[in-house]
Amino acid sequence: MTTLTLKNVTKRYDNKVQAVTDFNLEVEDREFIVFVGPSGCGKSTTLRMIAGLEDISEGDFLIDNKRMNDVASKDRDIAMVFQNYALYPHMSVYDNMAYGLKIRKVPKDEIKRRVDDAAKILGLEKYLDRKPKALSGGQRQRVALGRAIVRDASVFLMDEPLSNLDSKLRVQMRSEIIKLHNRLNTTTIYVTHDQTEAMTMASRIVIMKDGVIQQVGTPKDVYDNPDNMFVGGFIGSPSMNFLNGTVVNGQFKIGNVLVTLTDDQQARLKAYEGKEVVLGIRPEHVTDDNGAYDVTHAHRVPAFIEVAELTGAEQILYANLEGQDFIGRVDAQNAIERGQTVDLVFHMERAHFFDKETELRIGAVDTI
Amino acid sequence: MTKKQSKLIRLTISYLIILTMTAIVLYPLLWVLGSSFNPGNSLNSSQMFPDNPTLKHYQFLFDLERSNYLLWYWNSMKISLMTMIFSVILVSFTAYSFSRYRFVGRKNGLMTFLILQMIPNFAALIAIFVLATRLQLIDTHLGLILFYVGGQIPMSTWLMKGYLDTIPKDLDESARMDGAGHFRIFIQIIMPLAKPIISVVALFAFIAPLGDFIIARILLRSNEQYTLAVGLYDLVAKQFGNSFTTFAAGAVLVSVPIALLFLVFQKYFVSGLTAGGTKG
Repeated sequence: MTTLTLKNVTKRYDNKVQAVTDFNLEVEDREFIVFVGPSGCGKSTTLRMIAGLEDISEGDFLIDNKRMNDVASKDRDIAMVFQNYALYPHMSVYDNMAYGLKIRKVPKDEIKRRVDDAAKILGLEKYLDRKPKALSGGQRQRVALGRAIVRDASVFLMDEPLSNLDSKLRVQMRSEIIKLHNRLNTTTIYVTHDQTEAMTMASRIVIMKDGVIQQVGTPKDVYDNPDNMFVGGFIGSPSMNFLNGTVVNGQFKIGNVLVTLTDDQQARLKAYEGKEVVLGIRPEHVTDDNGAYDVTHAHRVPAFIEVAELTGAEQILYANLEGQDFIGRVDAQNAIERGQTVDLVFHMERAHFFDKETELRIGAVDTI
Repeated sequence: MTKKQSKLIRLTISYLIILTMTAIVLYPLLWVLGSSFNPGNSLNSSQMFPDNPTLKHYQFLFDLERSNYLLWYWNSMKISLMTMIFSVILVSFTAYSFSRYRFVGRKNGLMTFLILQMIPNFAALIAIFVLATRLQLIDTHLGLILFYVGGQIPMSTWLMKGYLDTIPKDLDESARMDGAGHFRIFIQIIMPLAKPIISVVALFAFIAPLGDFIIARILLRSNEQYTLAVGLYDLVAKQFGNSFTTFAAGAVLVSVPIALLFLVFQKYFVSGLTAGGTKG
């Protein structure tokens, strides 16, 4: 049983730069939490505060309800995997993995048993005698993971562990880390800037920007109901389309094009009558006629196709509507070429509206 | 000009330069080596390749009855080794703290070291002499060792700090997560990785006392306490009976320990010991 609690955690550097502001999070036992955000958003800093590598300027950090702010890293029972592996170059793979245990004076045969077990899980049995420099990137990453596994620590921290691997290896290691988590069930915090990693691995995602949490939720929740425009735009690839328009008589007006709203949306946007708001809609909810599975609220808009990319199964359309760019995804069967003007369908029941000023989603719990 | 021709010219020029350099370096060496085997004592009659070579100068040096050479050798080795050991220990500690910790006075300390290393040791000769007199370190090896070690610290600290800065901090942090304290990180992680620079610092600290004449000359009084440099100088500085050939023989033998040390440290001089630890 390990739970982590971060209460109003703030990190301020000497030069007054505020890296993390008022960070609040409860991590349940066995959760796989992913911190995601663009570089410089404070996610790594937060992780390093949890690890004890950075001091916490304000607020409390608790493990199992015990305050840990002033406890040294080595006494926090946390294992960490670093972005660039941080293997000890002068030690063999075995010694790299055993180092933490040796320091903790674990008996020799116990060390051997644990290292052998970890090596078996990670497929490193053959490499135990090698030095890190004789390993490939993927193998080094495995050793770094192995070093965390043998420690049998109560919390795993991973700081962008896959970002140095090539894309194929990254996908492979991703699933291995998930398998590993399912097997060990250790509470894990994982930092990445890759939203795909966040979506595929997390039990809950924490999206950060400029040192502030933007939203916390399950991948599905975050994807389907982004709290603000940043989350909507950051999660999902290609990212969410944002179109500026005005609410006119319960309809949404983009330039000269009128889009019908659902009853629900009309109710929410009542207060915004005559004002400018932002429509957020994901590319997969912009289709051509054939893909319109639910036409009740679908709305056709005439779009000029600027670029059409064929990815194989589908076509990504870079379209323009009344001077605003957006992206649609259609079945590859319906060959649409650039330069055409075609009717695209907005599946309005999946669309969101955002306040233009605050960039918050209209209708999200805390904005009503 | 064809590619082959230009390559030929390039190679010829390179080899010419190398040959010239080799000649410049080797000529005095050969000369000293040659004259050490000359039968006479004077410089004038010496030849690089003597007609009737003899080992009598070496025999003289090794004869404890007639010469203190072996004693000086022992003194010099003792001083050099001690200087080497203490320098490496002190420099490692200082360099590590300058590289890894942030503390008040860090910048100024580094700057002071930088300025200090620009001033040669013997510039402080009078101060050293006064200090040694007050501390009763005149004519002792301890005094010499202290001054040599002190002289080594500034430059070697800069050298080593520069190297330690290139060892990724992630390794320290990783070791911290593994449960290591500051001292353990220093001894078990950083020092093994700093072997190349440690050998450089050690070598410098070993050679410096061997090459120093001025400070040793000022501080040492009795013949039995002399180091090689001072003792050998005595051989040629006498008003009568200068023995340049014996001096040459003594000088040749001085290079032996340095050459040995080079051989021992050579394998660490290759860089890339940190390769593979982190990505990059």
